[in-house]
Amino acid sequence: MLDMKNIRKVFRTDLVETCALDDFSLTVDQGEFVTITGPSGCGKTTFLNIAGLLETHSGGQYLLDGADVSQLGDYARAKLRNQKIGFIFQSFNLMPDLNLFDNIDVPLRYRGMKAGERKERIDKALDSVGLFARRKHVPAQLSGGQQQRVAIARALVGDPLFLLADEPTGNLDSNTAQGVMTLLEEINDSGTTIIMVTHDQSLAQQSKRNIHILDGRISNGTESNSQPEATAA
Amino acid sequence: MFFYYLRLSALSYRRNPILSSLMVLAIAIGVGAYMVIFTLNYVMGGNPIPQKSDQLFHLQIDSGNPNTESDPPEQLTYIDARALIEADAAFRETPSSKISGIIEPEGDDARPFSVIGRGAAADFFTMFNVPFLYGTPWDESADRNLQQVAVITKELNERLFGGEDPSGQTLRFHSSNFQIVGVLDDWAPVPKFYDVNNNPFDGGEEIFIPWNLVAPMEFSRSGNTNCWKAPDPGREGFLNSECVWIQYWVELRDGEEEEDYLQFLNNYVAEQKEFGRMPRPMNNALFDVEEWLLKEEVLPNETKILSALAAMLLAVCLLNTIGLLLSKFLGKSGEIGVRQALGAHKGSLFMQHVIEAGFIGLLGGIIGLGVAAAGLEGIKVVLGDDLMMTDWIQLNPPVVAVTLVLAIFATIAAGFYPIWRACNVNPAIHLKTQ
Repeated sequence: MLDMKNIRKVFRTDLVETCALDDFSLTVDQGEFVTITGPSGCGKTTFLNIAGLLETHSGGQYLLDGADVSQLGDYARAKLRNQKIGFIFQSFNLMPDLNLFDNIDVPLRYRGMKAGERKERIDKALDSVGLFARRKHVPAQLSGGQQQRVAIARALVGDPLFLLADEPTGNLDSNTAQGVMTLLEEINDSGTTIIMVTHDQSLAQQSKRNIHILDGRISNGTESNSQPEATAA
Repeated sequence: MFFYYLRLSALSYRRNPILSSLMVLAIAIGVGAYMVIFTLNYVMGGNPIPQKSDQLFHLQIDSGNPNTESDPPEQLTYIDARALIEADAAFRETPSSKISGIIEPEGDDARPFSVIGRGAAADFFTMFNVPFLYGTPWDESADRNLQQVAVITKELNERLFGGEDPSGQTLRFHSSNFQIVGVLDDWAPVPKFYDVNNNPFDGGEEIFIPWNLVAPMEFSRSGNTNCWKAPDPGREGFLNSECVWIQYWVELRDGEEEEDYLQFLNNYVAEQKEFGRMPRPMNNALFDVEEWLLKEEVLPNETKILSALAAMLLAVCLLNTIGLLLSKFLGKSGEIGVRQALGAHKGSLFMQHVIEAGFIGLLGGIIGLGVAAAGLEGIKVVLGDDLMMTDWIQLNPPVVAVTLVLAIFATIAAGFYPIWRACNVNPAIHLKTQ
């Protein structure tokens, strides 16, 4: 489903050139729950941005659902993001002016979906995270955990191929974080692929597969409950 | 998606009310000031009879002072006007001159009052598409036979006859009895193109009589009179002099009639030269309505200066708006990044922000209408003395439409750079830092 081969990403300024990812190869199959760990600056977020088509890569090949994305223009990338990828962010990234219903509505609007179908999907998504009754509330009226659940509902409403989660529990207390993780596991159990970046080793151990990145390369791709080894990819 | 983006624009306004209101105010001031001058130019400089302005011509015959190099006179002498109307060489034609007189209404309690009128030929009303409420204009036989007939305005009819049809009734005017043959409907061309020599922006005349009566009935002239040499004493001396005080218009249907009439004028002037008149070189011309208004510089010079200042003010306001829009849109970089992550392409983001800019422009335009209305009231004070009548200085539907369209499109144009900057933010940077 997600197939990266020898991905390289270089950030250039006038003064310095930084290689954020180097010879990075990763394959994620349908239904997997993969956590990505590593120290700050190792390239986790860069990987996530490339996987989510928010950044282009400087070299290598990225096949998303079998299609090479390297030559896609802005319109095609946006369409793929809308249809195949769901994003969950550390700081939720809900739009403060929109109520919960309208927040979840955003990706469906860009898909050109009709109003009736949008409403049906949004109501179902809100119900699945237990917040249907508060659909007219704005994010500021919710707790952190509730906001993250809304963000998850927004990510799922379009039936994406996979979810990309960037430290989804980073701004939550431990109890709430565990609640969110439980929800993500349920989502994964229902068949949705999840790729999650986290600093939290305990959360990483809950996933079925952990990838540890060091200096832009995978140091070791492991099954759950085993420690990553600091070896070159 | 248009209404969705419009809703987002309203929400965005609410989120930053002060910044957004500053932009709206900037647009309102710039557009409002510009539209004040635009209205003046539109009303004062517009074609008052577009449907046939290219068929109506004012004559120029150079009967001026041979000892100077001044421009040819803008009006005709009585000798020339009489000769031309008797020659009847054009499809339609009319001399006209402004007069004044006293009306003596019927009734013991009624007091006489002064009115401004115009002597004109029967063709005047047909040539200038003058609408009638009651009755009809007099015909050419009334001109020839010096019939004492009159056409009055709706307002004068209201005052004298309570607004009823007065056709056939007698009106005591200039100590003589005139039979009313018609009442004009609303008619106030701006500028008053048929007589630009006597303030083209003042109120129209209240009563019209056959021009052939003006001299024999010794009506007082109320218009502009210029004499390059002193006339002989007495009324006959004045009528036979080189004093110019009469406007002369002809209607010519096509280029061939135009050529023929010009040739007729040339022949007439050549004949007058043989009598010792018109010593200056032949300089006859026909000016259609727009050419005449341009030649006579009907638009006051003040409006030209004000136009330039208003355009500069609008430019300054738009420049300020660019800065404010840049601040507003770049402040939304996080939201833009999220929308991109959720599937918005640059085109849809561009459209969203164009509509937001247009929304701000619309609000600015609505308030700008208020600014323009206030400005026009101010203009009445500034130019009122020159223009005498200022009832027409107001916003009309076409001007309102132009104001709103200008405001919307000017704001969108000012927003192009801020929108382009906003649509090209790197979403990855702003998503992490949200």
